[in-house]
Amino acid sequence: MKAYVYTDASLERYAGRFVWLSINTEDAKNAAFLKQYPIPVLPTLLVLDAKRDTVALRYIGGATAPQLGKLLGEAEKTYRARAQSAADTLLARADRLATAGKQAEAAAAYDEAIAAAPKSWKSFGRASESLIFAYSMAGNNERCATRAIALYPRVKGTSSAPNVAATGLSCAASLDKKHEKRVEMLTALESATREVFANEKIVMSDDDRSGIYMALIEAADASGDDEAVVRLKQEWSSFLEDAAARAKTPEQRTVYDSHRVSAYLELDTPEKAIPMLEQSERDFPDDYNPPARLALAYKAMKEYDKALAASDRAMARVYGPRKIAVLSVRADIYTAKGDAKAAKETIAQAVEFAKSLPDGQRSEGRIAALEKRLASM
Amino acid sequence: MKRLLLALALAAAGTASAKEILPFIENDYSTAIARAKAKNVPIFVEAWAPW
Repeated sequence: MKAYVYTDASLERYAGRFVWLSINTEDAKNAAFLKQYPIPVLPTLLVLDAKRDTVALRYIGGATAPQLGKLLGEAEKTYRARAQSAADTLLARADRLATAGKQAEAAAAYDEAIAAAPKSWKSFGRASESLIFAYSMAGNNERCATRAIALYPRVKGTSSAPNVAATGLSCAASLDKKHEKRVEMLTALESATREVFANEKIVMSDDDRSGIYMALIEAADASGDDEAVVRLKQEWSSFLEDAAARAKTPEQRTVYDSHRVSAYLELDTPEKAIPMLEQSERDFPDDYNPPARLALAYKAMKEYDKALAASDRAMARVYGPRKIAVLSVRADIYTAKGDAKAAKETIAQAVEFAKSLPDGQRSEGRIAALEKRLASM
Repeated sequence: MKRLLLALALAAAGTASAKEILPFIENDYSTAIARAKAKNVPIFVEAWAPW
């Protein structure tokens, strides 16, 4: 959003109407904030009421400039409102629960808000998206898919349709293979997702489009349609290449690097990632991301010495919780190279670092997973 | 679902700040609270990571 949305002149009218705060979740300075407001997915957009110490709005994922304008308008109304409707009060409660990381309770609260919604409720779309995300994050794939099927007709043609359809589809694809309604749900949500994709009137962020490709790939994979999986992966990588080619600045182009690496790895063509990542490393010599991604690509190419050299450069620049991921990849490179001793030492280093992070950045789940891995080595 | 959540990181990714129209305070929650209270406006927060 930094590269594309916050530069949009249509948002200038909001400049003095909010205080704007950017929170880099990797920066230890933000540990206290992150303890108060856990952020499970990036980006997360919040509007906070400092006087009442409440959350006026919560939105998961990227937004286009028109979407952000709409969210800001909604948040301002909530902030200024002296009395709220029952649905608004329930929505605010759901946002608080989601912000506190209580996804199952939040999902139920979003459901209650939607049930109490007046006709033409301003927050219907956002509440629907938040509901589907909360069920998905709570691991309740059945309820996520069921509610997505029920809500889709009511958000059809709006900017909320992509998230409702694609997240619902992703949930359906994650259902147990023996689930009696799995095929029926997959079919309904795949059809909805394709309808969203074909609707040129919906202004979609590249996030939305990339998310749609991923959900369609998951669905094709879940249906055992290998041919469609390959075709969709190719379309996805072409889409990302076109988007990167349209970028007007190096900042805009690098936004697509991580997804392009994922797509190339999925297509088993990691060598395609090398030139763009080398370019990004030249453009942003202080950024740990290009060498960290080069390490991944070289590992996939079985060029382990080049992978370790890139990992060295990433290690010299990385900070915050991301360092754990860089160390994990480094251990994978050693393992692939056949150096079990170095792999074990690297994971031990990752455990030590994970334990040293402050509250808000420290994750007990991550520490447990690393310790489990270390014990198995 | 893993894939989709990964997709959401797309807009968060990025390396350097471009020319921003919105005057963001970087990584300083206390200053943001004080300014918001003084101006009686809400705080917009983007939580992101450089990856």
